[in-house]
Amino acid sequence: MVSTSDVIRTYMSGEVPVNALRGVSVDIDGGEFVSIAGPSGSGKTTLLNLIGCLDKPDGGEISIDGMKTAVMTSDELAYFRREKLGFVFQTFNLIPVLTAFENVSFALSLLGLSDEEVRDRTQSILDEVGLSGMENRPPLKLSGGQQQRVAIARALVKRPRLVLADEPTANLDSETGEAILVLMEEMNRRYGTTFVFSTHDKMVMEHAHRLVMLHDGQIVSDERR
Amino acid sequence: MRFLLTLAWKNLSRYRRRTLITAGAIAVGLASFIFIDGWLVGADLQSQRNMIWYETGSARIVDAEYWENRESVPIRYAVEEPEIVLSELEQLAVPATPRITFGGELIVNYDPFPEDGALPTRVIALDPRTDDRVYRIDETIVKGRFLEPGEEGVLIGAWTAEDIGADIGYPITISTRTQDGFRQTIRLEIVGIFATPNPVMNRGTLLMDLDVADYYLEMDGSVTQIDMLLPERVDADARATEIAGELGIAGDSLEMVTWSTLAAEVLAIAEAKQAGTGMILFMVFLIAAVGVGNTMLMAVFERIRELGMMRALGMTDRQIRLAFVLEACGIGLVGSLLGVGLGALGNVYMTTIGMDLSLFTESIGNIGYRIATISYGAWNPTTMVVAFILGIVISGVIAWVPARRAMKMPITDCLIHQ
Repeated sequence: MVSTSDVIRTYMSGEVPVNALRGVSVDIDGGEFVSIAGPSGSGKTTLLNLIGCLDKPDGGEISIDGMKTAVMTSDELAYFRREKLGFVFQTFNLIPVLTAFENVSFALSLLGLSDEEVRDRTQSILDEVGLSGMENRPPLKLSGGQQQRVAIARALVKRPRLVLADEPTANLDSETGEAILVLMEEMNRRYGTTFVFSTHDKMVMEHAHRLVMLHDGQIVSDERR
Repeated sequence: MRFLLTLAWKNLSRYRRRTLITAGAIAVGLASFIFIDGWLVGADLQSQRNMIWYETGSARIVDAEYWENRESVPIRYAVEEPEIVLSELEQLAVPATPRITFGGELIVNYDPFPEDGALPTRVIALDPRTDDRVYRIDETIVKGRFLEPGEEGVLIGAWTAEDIGADIGYPITISTRTQDGFRQTIRLEIVGIFATPNPVMNRGTLLMDLDVADYYLEMDGSVTQIDMLLPERVDADARATEIAGELGIAGDSLEMVTWSTLAAEVLAIAEAKQAGTGMILFMVFLIAAVGVGNTMLMAVFERIRELGMMRALGMTDRQIRLAFVLEACGIGLVGSLLGVGLGALGNVYMTTIGMDLSLFTESIGNIGYRIATISYGAWNPTTMVVAFILGIVISGVIAWVPARRAMKMPITDCLIHQ
C-alpha cells in the first residue's frame, strides 16, 4: 500500500544541512499496524510527513496505492490527503471554536457528502470512539484523552486507506495513552485501515504489530511481531 | 461552503472584542461617509431651492447684450415689450414675472438711522401682482408688509436692516443712473423687512415696485429680465430650450438662461467641496481597511497551526483563503450594519432638526451655499446601499493579502508553529 524507495530528505538548519533521511526504503501493506520508532532526530516525523504528502523528498520515490506522490501538484496532494489519508497529531490540533461533532464532520464536509450522511457517519464514529453524549462540547471542555479520541474519529470518519499518527500518546498520561492505542488497534481490526504511527515510547512500541526502527535517518531494523 | 461560513462565524465570536473594535472603526468611517454625503446632498438641494425660490427663478429671459455685460448690470440693454413675452408664456402655462435689476448706492441719514452712511446695493424692482407666481419673498416678511403696486416703498433684507439700524417707516435714498445714463435719486420708505433662507438676498438687496422703478429709471416699459418658474422635477435646461424655441428666442436679441447658468459659481464651489470631501472619505476608508488588515493578520498569525492542520486534512489553499475572506466579510457586515445605522441616525437628525449656521453665515455672508440659517440633510439611499456593500467588499478584499501570506508557509512548519 505504501512504498518508499531510497527516500532522502535534507533540511537547512541555518547554513548547516541536516540529513533527516538518508535513503529510506520500506513497504507497508494494507491493514498493517506499524510503529516507526527511534530516538529524537532519527527522522520519524520526517518520514511520516513524506508518506502523508505534507512534504516532498529531495530524492527517491514514494507511492501510495501505486500513485507516485512526488509528481503531484499542491492541489492534487490536497485532494489526495482529503480522500485517502487521515492524520492524528501529537497536539490533537482540533479547531477550538468548533464542537467535537463539528471537528469530526469538517473532515467529511470536504468530500461533498449530503448533510444526512455527514451527520450519520459523524455520530457513528463518535459513538465508536466512546464519545457519545459529548458531541456538543468544544475541545476546551474535553480531557486530553477525549480530545485525542475526537482526533482519531476525525481521521477515521472518511474511511481513509491510511492513518498517520505522529506521537499520538506523547501528550497523554500512560493510562490514557494505553486506552488510545487500544482504540487505534480496534479501529485497525474493524476497518482494515492501515495505521502508521511514530513514537519513542517503549510502551507504545509494544502495541505495534510491526516495528521499524530508525536511527540517524536510516532504517536499522524492521521487525514483524 | 456552509462549513466555511460556520467557521467564519465562530471565529468572529471567538475574538468578540477585536471583532467589535474593528467593526467599530468601519462603522465610524461609513457613518461619517453617509452623514457627510447626506448633509452635502441636502445642502445642494436646499441651495438650489433657495436660489430658484428667492434669487434666480428656474430660468430667465434677458437681452443678449445685457447677458454679455451682466457684471456691470447694464439696464440700457433691456427686454422691450415684455408684455408680449409674458403673454406668450402665459399661453404656454409657464408662470413668469418681469423684473428690473439695477445697481446703486443706498444712502441713509442720521435720525432716524443711527448714523449717516452709504453702501453699494443691488435693487430689484418687481411687480407685486405677479412676483409670487415665481418667487416666495412675500412669505418671508418678518416685519411690516409686502409691497403694493405703484407705491414708493421698499423692502429691505433683515441683515442689511440690522447692519444699518433700519426699521419700518424709515426713509432711504437710492442713488443710481437712468437707462440713458443720467444720475437719478429715488426716495423710498421702508414698508417691510424680509428674511429669506437665501443669504445673498438678506444682505445687499433692496426690493421696490416695478412701475416706480420704470418711472425713475425711464425704462419706458422695458425690463432687464423676465423670470419664470418651472416644475421641480423637470429638467430645467431642456424645458427652457423648448420654451425658447416656442417663443422664437433663438437667434434673436434675447437669450434664455437657466438657474444653473445663473448659479454657475455656486455649483462650482459645491463641486469643489464634494471633491475635497471625497478625499476625506477615501482617507476614512483607508483607515478602516488598515484596521481590518491588521485584525486579519493577527488572526492568521494566531492560527498558523490550525491552518496547517486544515491543509493537512485536505483543504486547498483557495478554500482556506476563502475562509479568511468570509471572516473579514463578517467583520465588514457588522461594521456596515452599525455604520449604516449610525449614519441613518445622523441623517434623521439632519433631515428633521438640521444644523443652525446662522451665526456663521450672518458674519461671513456668502459661504458658497445659499443657506442663511438651518442647513438640512437629505436621504440618499444609493449612498447608504453603496456604503453598506463597500464595507463588506473592502473588508473581504483586504483579508486576501494576509491569508495569501499564510499559504506560503510549508504545512510541516505550520504544524509545529508555536
